[in-house]
Formats: sequence, structure tokens, C-alpha cells
Amino acid sequence: MIEPNYFLINVALLTVGTILIRGFFIALSGKMNISPKVKELFTFIPAAILPALVVPATFFYQGQVAWIGGKERFLILLASSIACYFVRNTLFVISFGLIMLYLVTKF
Amino acid sequence: MKHFKMGFRSVLPIISGIIPFGAVMGSAFSEAKLSFWQAMLMNTSVYAGAAQLATVDLMKMNAAYFVVVATGLIINLRFLLYSAAMSPYLKDSTPLIKFFTAFTLTDQSYAAMSANHDKFNTNTEAVNFYLGTSLCMILTWDASVVAGYIFGNFAPASLALDYAIPLSFVALLIPTLKTKNHGAVALFSSIISLLFFALPLKTGLMVTALLSIALAWVIIQKKSKV
Repeated sequence: MIEPNYFLINVALLTVGTILIRGFFIALSGKMNISPKVKELFTFIPAAILPALVVPATFFYQGQVAWIGGKERFLILLASSIACYFVRNTLFVISFGLIMLYLVTKF
Repeated sequence: MKHFKMGFRSVLPIISGIIPFGAVMGSAFSEAKLSFWQAMLMNTSVYAGAAQLATVDLMKMNAAYFVVVATGLIINLRFLLYSAAMSPYLKDSTPLIKFFTAFTLTDQSYAAMSANHDKFNTNTEAVNFYLGTSLCMILTWDASVVAGYIFGNFAPASLALDYAIPLSFVALLIPTLKTKNHGAVALFSSIISLLFFALPLKTGLMVTALLSIALAWVIIQKKSKV
């Protein structure tokens, strides 16, 4: 059981901290000049973050001990990336990956 | 309105990845014996799934305030980069729009925005598109958390619907890799994220992101000298 005041204080601090993080540069927009190089740097943000979210989550899906076993999610992710390169359709990529995973784990 | 609808529609294909995540979050609230209103308070005010999951778990263990808040904020630090990337679009927006944009910044809404950025001629179109993605995200996320809270994790395990989350990120990432340099940074991020995965408090994500951004900066600097 989480004590209500303890919960409320944590949620309040998390809310304020998160909005400060999310809003920091947005609040400054229009008040600072962004150079073309920095604007170009922004285009690299998805490439810098999204692989770091998905690759470990699939590669270490069954923990860090088994380096070879249980890597089907990672391998299907690679196959889905290749499929996505040719077919730029989100629904197709998700369906492709889920069906592949179902088939691999079922059979 | 056209771009708002485009933004809303751009998120529809990835809701198959958001629903199971929301259901997990809702059932985690329920298992932590939080009341419905406590769950909804945290869900709407923090609005960051990964940080919420981690911090609810820590609060169940009665962890110190610092540990709970630091863990949540470190996981959310990546939003700082999204905030920086969104800022040029918002320079002419009202404070209310800026606040709403900041409040609703998520991996999915930013990635959808980034994947479609070449479709905007003006900042207003971009912001309208973003607001559409945000509305779709909020509705889907809140509905799936409520359902998860009431019914538990309803997604059948055999369908492995949780796997739709990484797949949706792949589908959002690939269109943003417009040059070999973007591909190189994504590859670099993939490899070093595995090396830094074991870092405490999930700091591996932020370390990977910062090193990858540093690599991108080096690439841009080198390109400008050629």
C-alpha cells in the first residue's frame, strides 16, 4: 500500500520536473536564434534515441545472461527494419513483425 | 484543420503498440493498490509511461523521494532533446500552445512529427499536425490505462502485443534516416545502447543519446569543412 501523502509528493515533484524538462527549450523558442547547423543536428535526434529505446529492449528481452537464446525479437526487429525500408507503411511493419513473432514462437 | 487531421491519422497505425503498454500501466496502478483517481492523477499529470512504470514500482517499495523522482526524471531526460527539436516550430505560437505541446511531448508524437516534417510548408502546419498526434496519443493512452486498471492486462500473452511498441518505433524511425549519416548515427546508437544497457537508473539511454548526438555533431562539423 502506497501512503497517499508520499504518493502525492512524488507525483507533484515528477510532474513539475517533467514539465520543466519538456518545456525548457519550447519556452525559449522565439527568444533564441538557432543556427542551421543546430537545426541539422535536430534531424539526428530520432536516429540517436529511438534505436536506444528498441534495440536493448528486444536484444535483452530475456535478460542479459542468455546472449544467444531468445533473440527472436531482435532478429524480427531487424527483418522489420528492412521491410520498413522498402514499404513505408507503419501498419504493415507492425503487422509484419507481430505475425513473424507469432509464427516463430508458435512453431 | 487538414494538418491536424493528418497528425491524428499518422498516429492511428501505432496505437496497436500504445494500447498494450497502457494496459500494462493500468494494471500496474491497480496492483500497487492505488485508487482510480490517484492513478488518473499520475497518468494525466506526469504523462510518461516508462517513467510512471518505474516510479510506481519504486513507490511500492517505499523508496526515498530522491530515488523515485531522480529515476523518473532521468528516464524523461530524453524529452529535453525533443523539446529542443520542437522549439523552432513553436517560435510564433501562443504560450498556451507552447504549454500544451510541452505537456504532451512523447516519443511517439515527436517521432511522428519528425517522420513527416517534409510535409509542412509553415510552422503553423507543423504545430497543427503535432496537436493532432497529441490528441490521438492522449485519447488512446488514457483509454488503455483506464481499461488496464479496470480489467487488468487484457492483451492475450500469446499475441505478444507488447512487441508492437518497438515495431512502431522502427516504423517511425526508418523514414527519418534520410542520409547515410543518419543511418550511421542510428547504427552507432544501436550498438552502444547494448554496451551501456546495464548502467544504473536507466542512464544508459541518456548516455547513448548524448554520445550519438555528439557523433552527429562531429559529422555535421566535418561536412561543413569539406
